[in-house]
Amino acid sequence: MPLDIDRFAKLESPLQRWDPRIKLFTLGIFVFSVALLKTLPIACVAFFLAVGILRLSNLPYDFVASSVKWVIFFLLPFFIIMPLSYPGEAAFYVIGLPFAWEGLQLATLIFIKAVAIILTTFSMFGTARFDVSMIALQHLKCPKILVQMLLFTYRYTFVFIEEMRRMQIAMRARGFVMKTNLKTMQVMGNFVGTLLIRSFERSERVYKAMLSKGYQGELHTMVKFKSEQQDYIKSALVLVTAVIILALDFSGLFLPAKQSWF
Amino acid sequence: MHISDGILSAPVLIAGFIGTVAVAAYTLRQLDLDDIPKVSVITSVFFVASLIHVPIGPSSVHLILGGLVGVVLGIRAFPAIMLGIILQTILFGHGGVTVIGVNTMMLGGGGLMAYAVWQLRHHFNIKKKEMIFGGLAGAMGIFSSGIVLALSLVTTGEEFIATAWYTLIAHIPVMIIEALVVGSCAAFLAKVKPDALAGQLPLAPAVTATAAATTKPLNEDSPK
Repeated sequence: MPLDIDRFAKLESPLQRWDPRIKLFTLGIFVFSVALLKTLPIACVAFFLAVGILRLSNLPYDFVASSVKWVIFFLLPFFIIMPLSYPGEAAFYVIGLPFAWEGLQLATLIFIKAVAIILTTFSMFGTARFDVSMIALQHLKCPKILVQMLLFTYRYTFVFIEEMRRMQIAMRARGFVMKTNLKTMQVMGNFVGTLLIRSFERSERVYKAMLSKGYQGELHTMVKFKSEQQDYIKSALVLVTAVIILALDFSGLFLPAKQSWF
Repeated sequence: MHISDGILSAPVLIAGFIGTVAVAAYTLRQLDLDDIPKVSVITSVFFVASLIHVPIGPSSVHLILGGLVGVVLGIRAFPAIMLGIILQTILFGHGGVTVIGVNTMMLGGGGLMAYAVWQLRHHFNIKKKEMIFGGLAGAMGIFSSGIVLALSLVTTGEEFIATAWYTLIAHIPVMIIEALVVGSCAAFLAKVKPDALAGQLPLAPAVTATAAATTKPLNEDSPK
């Protein structure tokens, strides 16, 4: 799983050129409208729109796939649980369990919507530097304190991943092998405890260093945003599409996934 | 442990956001200036620690440690877990933008419940109470998160009742592992650095009492 989501922020594409403030706002609205969809055909349309937006961003396929495959993995159980547990008439029986088509439809709908939203998340946050995205969020009235904490947490995640790797190598060098027993759990508890103590001490040093550089609860940044007509045109296009798919979804032209296929 | 996008109904999602905003607004107001870097640094440790996989027989589960966040950060566990969930959404696409509210209520609420259980240790005078109550707090974190998860599924629609049961049952082994890991971690911290635990007596809150003593003069010098 890539932790540095902004690895490809420097690529040249319409999404990277988009003003991050407007981009986050617009795609955020798009994501929420996808989450509200109830019919399969429209969910498929939304899925292809999400793929289209992602294609525009030029993000490499491998980069996106390495995260998305985990999400797909977590969603797969739905395809088994939902059809077998759906209350209602069973189409046929699988080893004594009732199998309902409605359940399968519902699972498909959930799956398509979830993947569409994740792909859009990549378009949102994979196309600008992380700090730029966060400052854009602050411009969108996200609380200052939250934005600061997000920036710190993100920064130190990489430090502690390195720290954890070093500690794990040290443990392996001393012959530790993870097993399903009490000893392993105890060792892992101590491992997390050690990591915590180190981070406590580091956080004190960090805070003192920040104070000595004049930190008073504000982060000053050199990032400047500039929105042009093009940014608004892109935004209008996406928003109009979002409204259209929502309107079609609610119009009753297509039946919700729970009732029948179309 | 989290719920994905596209499953829950709009009222449940909105309720999640309202609840999260209310609790987060309250807990964020409790934060001091020096808490901002500290809580964030500790959040990133938990974020990293949740990447650790522990084997259960042939498969493995990853640590969640929601209970340990409560044990270490106390009431500040809620904003810390919210940060973790937002980051997870942005970096991995786990969960999703629309379920940030529900997921924060689920795991952050678990952290707060774990803290409540952890605080009960002051009423008992037994050996190894840090290990016992740490373990209970770890189990409580997962248990209450599991309940919130099940409730959010059930309130979305009756077709999810069976799914809710399956997820609750699937959480039992996770609960046991978390109890063992959090319990031994709490015992370790109590021995090595008791200041790191939340709600220690007599100097109750503050991440570390020594840190407060050393950073105070700096605070007074800096203009507010």
